[in-house]
Amino acid sequence: MRWGERMEIADFLLTVAVFVLAMVALGLVRILRGPAAADQMMAAQLFGTGGIAALLLLGVATEADAVIDVALVLALLAAFASVAFVQGAAPADEDIKEKNHP
Amino acid sequence: MTLALAVDIGLALLVLAVAGWTIAVRDTFAAVIGFVAYGLLLALVWVRLAAPDVALTEAAVGSGLTGLLLLSASARLRHAKTSAAPPGPVLQWAAGALCILIAAGLAALVLLLPDPAPTLAPAAVAHLPATGLGNPVTGVLMVYRAIDTFLESVVLLPALLGVWSLASEGDWGGAPILRHPRPDGALTLMAQVLPPLGIIVGVYLCWNSADHPGGAFQGGAVLAAMWVLALLAGLVDAPPIRQRGLRVLLVAGAAVLLAVGLAGIGLAGAFLAYPEHYSKPLILAIEMALVLSIAVALALLVAGPPVRTPS
Repeated sequence: MRWGERMEIADFLLTVAVFVLAMVALGLVRILRGPAAADQMMAAQLFGTGGIAALLLLGVATEADAVIDVALVLALLAAFASVAFVQGAAPADEDIKEKNHP
Repeated sequence: MTLALAVDIGLALLVLAVAGWTIAVRDTFAAVIGFVAYGLLLALVWVRLAAPDVALTEAAVGSGLTGLLLLSASARLRHAKTSAAPPGPVLQWAAGALCILIAAGLAALVLLLPDPAPTLAPAAVAHLPATGLGNPVTGVLMVYRAIDTFLESVVLLPALLGVWSLASEGDWGGAPILRHPRPDGALTLMAQVLPPLGIIVGVYLCWNSADHPGGAFQGGAVLAAMWVLALLAGLVDAPPIRQRGLRVLLVAGAAVLLAVGLAGIGLAGAFLAYPEHYSKPLILAIEMALVLSIAVALALLVAGPPVRTPS
């Protein structure tokens, strides 16, 4: 397609979805490199946001209404997952006690 | 449709990269993060494959409770003083070879399917109007294969009994404790703001499933995540497992399904057959009971064995 030609809205949305997915892939590199658990956690959260965005774009482009429900559930549980990540990364009770009362 | 193809190829490459990394990484915490990201990508893939019901299940189960369950297991492993030696190279190679065998077998099955693949989808859709439902997936789960759904709703209970049986002698009948080690303002606020929305979404997914993608399992998983969030923030305490109301809730879904199934013998001539014109309200009643039982069972599975001595 040349510049100036008319672009179908679905094609435009798909292009944006590809772009968002590429950005998500870059976020993936961040997950791969770490180094701390917090970096990986934030990258996973970014991954969630980007994934939901790509999902909504795909859903509108292909006119699949149920996709909005999937995005809704993912958005809701992404917030829950952040709590789970912190819970998993936090030291266990005994460790805190040991640090406070050596 | 070259752009759609670009999306699909990009998704496939991402899925492979995340899967490979999840296997290769040494740290369990990082592997769980990779697994959660992998689940999110799979939901996208299911949407691209025009299977929104499966995408919803993957989203509801994979990105919520599974992550928490795996992360608490990883944290427990990290803090446990393990004396067992890591598995030797023979065991590792054997496990790897078995996994490759399973993946290759599945791939061969998919590739060897005749074209067009045998399908019962037209028959399922053709008889859907008789059930009063609009979503063929719910039709299969609640009408054509209701016996499978019944077994699925029962199988959560032995799993929960397995977790409970890890309790020490004196704690039996007590309450599990699932609380964040350092609950603070942010977590408390989130546990107050998110559950009202989550409860609406959970009930909506279940209620909606008659005509649109959704179902008791997806809705139950969302409701369970909301309860677990309130437990983590310390806003509520987990009930003692000997509580009668709790146990009634746990078996309610399977009991209602069994009762409707047995009534079907007299009213419609077969086990789990629905009387004509009443199938949709009956199915919704079963789903509502199921969603409660599934939510309670999933949350208690995550909460773990009881550790508080009954008082």
